[in-house]
Amino acid sequence: MQEELILQLESHVATRILKQPGRRIAADEPIISSGLIDSFNLVDVALYVEDTFGVRITDTELNSGTFDTLGQLAALIEQRRGRA
Amino acid sequence: MTLAQIAALVVLAAAIGQLKRGRQLALLAVSTGVLFWLQPPEPIPSLGFWLPFGILGLTIVSWILTSASDERGWRRTWPAVAVIAAVVILMEINGFAGPSINAAVVVPVPSKVLLGVVALAGLVGILWRWQAGRPILLVVLSGLIVLVFVMIKTPGLAQSSASWLQHLPGAWEGIAADVPFSWLGFSYVAFRLLHTVRDRQAGRLPEVSLSEYVTYVIFFPAFTAGPIDRVERFVQDLRSPHELRNDDWLDAGTRLIVGLFKKFVVADLLAVISFSDLLVEHVKTPGWMWLFVYAYAFRIYFDFSGYTDVAIGMGRLLGVRLPENFNAPYLKQNIALFWNSWHMSLTQWFRSYIFNPLTRQMRSGRAMVPTWYAILITQLVTMVLIGLWHGITWGFALWGLWHGIGLFVHNRWVEFARGRWPAATQSPSARRAAAILGVFITFNFVAVGWLFFGLSTPALTWKALRMLFGAA
Repeated sequence: MQEELILQLESHVATRILKQPGRRIAADEPIISSGLIDSFNLVDVALYVEDTFGVRITDTELNSGTFDTLGQLAALIEQRRGRA
Repeated sequence: MTLAQIAALVVLAAAIGQLKRGRQLALLAVSTGVLFWLQPPEPIPSLGFWLPFGILGLTIVSWILTSASDERGWRRTWPAVAVIAAVVILMEINGFAGPSINAAVVVPVPSKVLLGVVALAGLVGILWRWQAGRPILLVVLSGLIVLVFVMIKTPGLAQSSASWLQHLPGAWEGIAADVPFSWLGFSYVAFRLLHTVRDRQAGRLPEVSLSEYVTYVIFFPAFTAGPIDRVERFVQDLRSPHELRNDDWLDAGTRLIVGLFKKFVVADLLAVISFSDLLVEHVKTPGWMWLFVYAYAFRIYFDFSGYTDVAIGMGRLLGVRLPENFNAPYLKQNIALFWNSWHMSLTQWFRSYIFNPLTRQMRSGRAMVPTWYAILITQLVTMVLIGLWHGITWGFALWGLWHGIGLFVHNRWVEFARGRWPAATQSPSARRAAAILGVFITFNFVAVGWLFFGLSTPALTWKALRMLFGAA
């Protein structure tokens, strides 16, 4: 279940944000602290997560302290989806 | 802070850190006292009393407005009130009897202080009861904080207010001194208060007692120059039982020694060859100008990061893990990564309350603006505001603009380069070369940018820039 989620996130980030459709991003690869996606892209990611999964990540949470890898993001989504 | 003041505060921090019970109240008492103790001379001497008093009053009012009514039991709150009142009274008595702990603080006559206290108590009493008006009051409070911020950070306005105040007949004690008007710590206090107000408005603020709230806002290690912590995190540390163990002493001690060395040895030595108004007026060759620029770049880093190390070390002794402010900023390959590693607690604040909300609006509004436009606007607005936070002058605004444009150009370059040279096809040596080039370019960009930040007028900056690139 989470693996599908991670793949979905990876596909979105690679295609829509990095504009490199074939690009692989490992589930444990730091994407924020490494600068791979910048703060502007991060807001887009949050909007995508909200639109697609109905999970809200607030403005004060959009940083590497909350999640830094796709795996962590997926876990966060599952956790918040489970509550709803 | 001077070395002597830091030493005294370290001793205090170590002492409080040993307390098994009463740590919170002791911390509150000491932080309140330090507020008065660190106060520098003001053009109107008794402002040395009223400004710290003002910070306390503003903080108490903010707590009332940001806490839910059922959280504020008088039984829980009165010890904090008693402690704060006791310290204020102590400062008042100290000002009259014997040598003052701070010669810059000329205390007003007791009747005036009593008047101030009664007025504050009255305001607090009204707000404590009046729940219905809260949402609008939060907006008013934010507006007031920003207004005061603008007034004291705009040099012209600050001076006019000070002169105007001086001429109020019979209003002030002490003979007017010829010193600039400044409100120590207000930039940081304002941002901590605004963070709690915004979080309350968004429904995210946890329950916090008066003692915890005031301690968070005026926490003495971080009072003069940050870091800007978040109240949820801070309060968690305060509430956990704290025992000073060997590794705490070791980590705190190391941090303190490193910080003191960076600030009082390295930074102070570099200060001699860093650019200043005077040096820029007299510099003759580009070589010297570049030396001054690089020296300033390192000086400001060692000064500020050294200070942050000291703050974090003191915090560690007290059982509070303050957030980091620096992460090898000059070793970063691009300007975006630089801004992820310079004055991190401030940039986090701006991301949370300015950049992210603004970007969200621009990305999900009905009128979808082109991406490049959204990036340009959000970067420029955020960076110029970060500049103006340091002081409302053209120099700081231009510094913000410099970095905003730099970030925008970097962003566009990355978009372009990603299409042209996907990372996977680059050889390791090509990537290494790009990294080194990136560090070099980024460092120079930032170093030259400091010319807007560190000189008092744009005209001097222009002169310095021309000197750097060979034109006399």
